[in-house]
Amino acid sequence: MNGTGKGATLYKILTKQKALIAILVMLIGMLFSHSNFYSAFNLLQMLSSTSILLILAFGVTLTIIAGGCDLSIGGIMVVAGIVSIKLMNAGMPMGLAIFLAILFGTVVGFVNGFLAVHQKTEPFIITLGIGLLLTGVAQQLTNAHPVPAQNPSFMMIGNGYFHGVPNLVIIMLVLFALTYWLMRYTEFGRNLYAIGGDYEVARYSGIDVIRTKWLAFVISGTMAALAGVLLSSELNTGSAVYGETTALVVNCGVVVGGTSFAGGIGGIPQSALGLLVFGLLGNSMNMLNISSYFQIMLQGAVIVAIIWLDSYAQKRKREAV
Amino acid sequence: MTVQGTNSAIRVGASILRDYLVLVMIAALVALTALIEPKFLSPENLTNIMFQFGPLMMVALGTTFVIIGGFIDLSIAGTINLVAVVTISLIQPMGQVPALLTGLATGTVCGALNSVLILSSGALTQAEALFMTFGLSTVYSAIALLYSHGSTMHFWDITASKSIFQAIGSGSLGFLSWSFVIFLISLAALWVFQEMTAEGRAVRLTGGNKTAARLAGVRISRSIVVIYAIGGFMAALGAIVLFSRVTTASPVIGVGYETNAILAVVVGGTTLKGGKGSVLRTVMGVLLVVLMSNCLNLLGVSTYLQVVAEGAILTFAIWLDNRKHM
Repeated sequence: MNGTGKGATLYKILTKQKALIAILVMLIGMLFSHSNFYSAFNLLQMLSSTSILLILAFGVTLTIIAGGCDLSIGGIMVVAGIVSIKLMNAGMPMGLAIFLAILFGTVVGFVNGFLAVHQKTEPFIITLGIGLLLTGVAQQLTNAHPVPAQNPSFMMIGNGYFHGVPNLVIIMLVLFALTYWLMRYTEFGRNLYAIGGDYEVARYSGIDVIRTKWLAFVISGTMAALAGVLLSSELNTGSAVYGETTALVVNCGVVVGGTSFAGGIGGIPQSALGLLVFGLLGNSMNMLNISSYFQIMLQGAVIVAIIWLDSYAQKRKREAV
Repeated sequence: MTVQGTNSAIRVGASILRDYLVLVMIAALVALTALIEPKFLSPENLTNIMFQFGPLMMVALGTTFVIIGGFIDLSIAGTINLVAVVTISLIQPMGQVPALLTGLATGTVCGALNSVLILSSGALTQAEALFMTFGLSTVYSAIALLYSHGSTMHFWDITASKSIFQAIGSGSLGFLSWSFVIFLISLAALWVFQEMTAEGRAVRLTGGNKTAARLAGVRISRSIVVIYAIGGFMAALGAIVLFSRVTTASPVIGVGYETNAILAVVVGGTTLKGGKGSVLRTVMGVLLVVLMSNCLNLLGVSTYLQVVAEGAILTFAIWLDNRKHM
């Protein structure tokens, strides 16, 4: 039935490398557009503006590989960003404010892990609830108005350059290397894959499943808070509005890359590619002057198409067995 | 022996308390607010509540079957946005009855489209449904934005007759508001569907165990189409009740309804694991959510803190639901 002929090969490439294909199609398509898409400035700008989403994605990837997912990252991100600015405006030194904001993410991640791993609730719905709660917290903290930061050196974190490369890109690359190493070369990473592959088998083979999976949620929360601090720094304001759909877009982006909701497969580089699809899509559409409403629609359609393909691949796998 | 007896009595008591926790919470909330703020039980406020709970009630009733069927629907916000702008824009050119029917049909089609995509991809888990319906919600909302050019439409711009919508929004039949009458009729219809039809039983079997249901001869794909179509239809009804009450329709009018509907259904006691639950429980859940927001308003709590409270209650309810079925 399966695995015969060119069609099957093509199908396999299509489902395995959706993100890479989408990126190539867009890059080739933009060759024919009369815009300055292919300027070093624009490409670097695109990478810089996608960096925050990428950092969110690296954390979320760990939870998805372990067979969970984290939809509270949008809430964590906005609250952490607002907290860091509020603390600084209240006179706290920058380093301490940032540290406390990131610590907040760690604590939320710990709570997520407790509920989703220790108490075994459905991760996607419980983190959706936590995300809703945090959105309310963010609105309450800011009274739904953006809070401007008053510290110029804070702004430089997200807007500065290091030897011509935006700081955000450098931070993103460092975190990329760190999470890649964590997933690829450490026992913790291997255990996460095992847990996502088969929870019970992992448990019987002596892995401390609860602690390992819990830690994935803690890391995801911490990374989300870090992304929130960077976002506030980039915009120089703390605002509650950015968290609304970010969580769902990032989780979908991770799946686009090839990390499946079924758990146990995927990786950090795949997630990076997946999120780049969304970054590239947004940037290309801006370059082509496509109306923002139409952009929203295309983004939604891409999400539907990708989740559809992911589910369809799962179905094929089930039927092949 | 006696120790065991008391133990089991405690256990029975605890399980009754868990089952009727929502009712207890409603009663406690009403008593507490009435004590602190006597205005709560005034006829004006009660009428206010009666008009207030319409939209969420419709939406949550529809979502109940999606959740009983073991799925989830985040596309409701998009459906509400789309139905609201389409319906209000058609009153002028087509007349109010065709506009109303087109609105309801739009919602049903949106709902059915969800199920078609879920079925064709072979998605069986709640997580897959969640992300797919989220993507569709974005698409529906974007269509609403494109259709309305992002602008808000008002009743007072419509010169054609709009008596039906005005009646739904603020009219009364005796001492009941028209929206309350619509609620009673929908509840009765959905309850009959749930309790007395083969399809209603099929939905519960599908939610309980898809493989077992299929082997038992239940056509689970038909059940999935039915639950999403009902979800879409009820979302459309909710959208119509909503914009009739506020007399304006913006393309972002439905934001937040999807999570509130899930909140109401789960708080009411329908389990997210599927297979069990009832529209009557959802009625209790919606009452609790609406009463809570009314109480918090009367007590002067900010809208933002209300979102915090909703998130906290949702998280708590999911946790409790999970404990119950462990």
